[in-house]
Amino acid sequence: MTMRSTAAYVAAAMLVLAASASAQDARLSLIRDDATRDAVRAQLRSATSRGLPADPFMSKALEGVAKKASTKSIRAAMAALEKRMRAAHAALAPSSDVDELAAGADALSVGVPEKALKQLRATAPGRSISVELGVLTELVARGVPVKQATKAVLDLMARGATGVQLTALGRDVQGDVAAGLKPDVALDLRGRNVLSLLPPPPTVSNVNVRPR
Amino acid sequence: MIVEERDELIDRAARALAALPPADPLAVMQIVSLARTRRGTRHPLAARFAGWMRTPSFSLASATMFAAATLVIGFVSGNAVERAASGSPASATRAVELMPAADVGAAARAVAVPMVLDARSATTVSVVGDFNNWDATATPMQRFGGDGPWTATVLAKPGRHVYAFMVDGVLTADPRAPKARDVDYGGEASVLMVTKP
Repeated sequence: MTMRSTAAYVAAAMLVLAASASAQDARLSLIRDDATRDAVRAQLRSATSRGLPADPFMSKALEGVAKKASTKSIRAAMAALEKRMRAAHAALAPSSDVDELAAGADALSVGVPEKALKQLRATAPGRSISVELGVLTELVARGVPVKQATKAVLDLMARGATGVQLTALGRDVQGDVAAGLKPDVALDLRGRNVLSLLPPPPTVSNVNVRPR
Repeated sequence: MIVEERDELIDRAARALAALPPADPLAVMQIVSLARTRRGTRHPLAARFAGWMRTPSFSLASATMFAAATLVIGFVSGNAVERAASGSPASATRAVELMPAADVGAAARAVAVPMVLDARSATTVSVVGDFNNWDATATPMQRFGGDGPWTATVLAKPGRHVYAFMVDGVLTADPRAPKARDVDYGGEASVLMVTKP
C-alpha cells in the first residue's frame, strides 16, 4: 500500500467517523430531558468502550423516551441490554455484525440460552443469522419449549431452509397457537411440513460416490 | 424492440436527417473556436480541480488537511443540528433525516414494508420501532382517501423487529400483528418479521 492510498483511507475513515458522530449527536438531541440525555451518553460510552455497537443502545434509549419511561428505567434498560449484548457478542463470535448482535440479545431476552446462539453460529459460520435468531426468538416467545425450538431451527438450517421458509414457519406456529393449538404440537406439525419440502440431507455414501 | 421495428425507426431517422439543411463549415469552426477560448479562460482553481478530476492524486499533506477539515465540518454540523433540534420540532425532523455514511450499505439491505392502521378518528399517526429509532417524526402515516386507513412504508433490515403506532401522541399496538412482551419497559409491542425478498 502506497503512502497516497494510506492517506486516502485515513481520510475516508475520518469522514465516516465524523458523519457517525454528528448523526449520534443529532439522535441524542431527540432526548429533551438533560438528566436522561447525560445518562444515555454515559451508557453509550460504557458500551462502545467494550467494543459494542452504539446503535442498539441509542434505539433502546429512544424507545424509552417514546414510552415516556423515567431516566432510571431507561438507564436500567440500557444496562440490561449491555449485559445481553456482551453475552451475544461472546456467543456469536467472531461476528460483530450489529444486526446479529441485536438479534442475539433479543433471543437472550426471551430465555434462549447462550449455548443455542453458539450452535446457530456453528451451523452457519459464514453468513448473517439475524433471521434465524428472530424466528427462534418468536417461537420461544409463543411458548414453544426452548430445546424444541432450537432443535427445529438448527435442523431446518442444516437442511438449507431459506429465511422465507423459516419466517413462514414462525408465522404459521404463531397462528396455530393463537387458534388454540399447543405450541410444541404446532411446531412439530409445521416443522415436519417444511422439512418435507426440503431436499434430503447428503449422506456419506452418496457424497463419496463418483460418477463413472 | 423487435428487428423490424428498429429498421423502421432507423429509416425514419435517416429521412429526418436528410431533410435538414447541410451544416455550414464556417459556423462549425466558430463554435469550436469559441469553446476552446472558454476552456482557456477558465478560473485557475476550476481548471486545477478539473485537472485533478481527470488524473486524481493524493499527497499525505492534502489527505491530512482534507481529513481535518472533514472532522471539523462533521462536528460543527453535528453541534449545529443538536442546537437546532432542541429549538423546534421541525428542526428535529431535519436532524433525524441525516444518515451516517456507515449506514448507507445497511439501508441498501433494508426491505420496504407497508404499514396500515385503521384509526378513523385519529388526526396524526406515525410508525415507531427499532427500524427508525422509535422516532415519532421519522415515519408519519398518510390517510388513504378521505377517511380511509392510515398508511406508510418503513425500511427494515431482515430479522425480527418490534414496533408500535403513535396515534395522537399515544403508543398503540398494531391490532393485526402478533404481540411481544417488553422485558425492559413493560407493556407490549407488535412484532414484524422481515426476510429478504
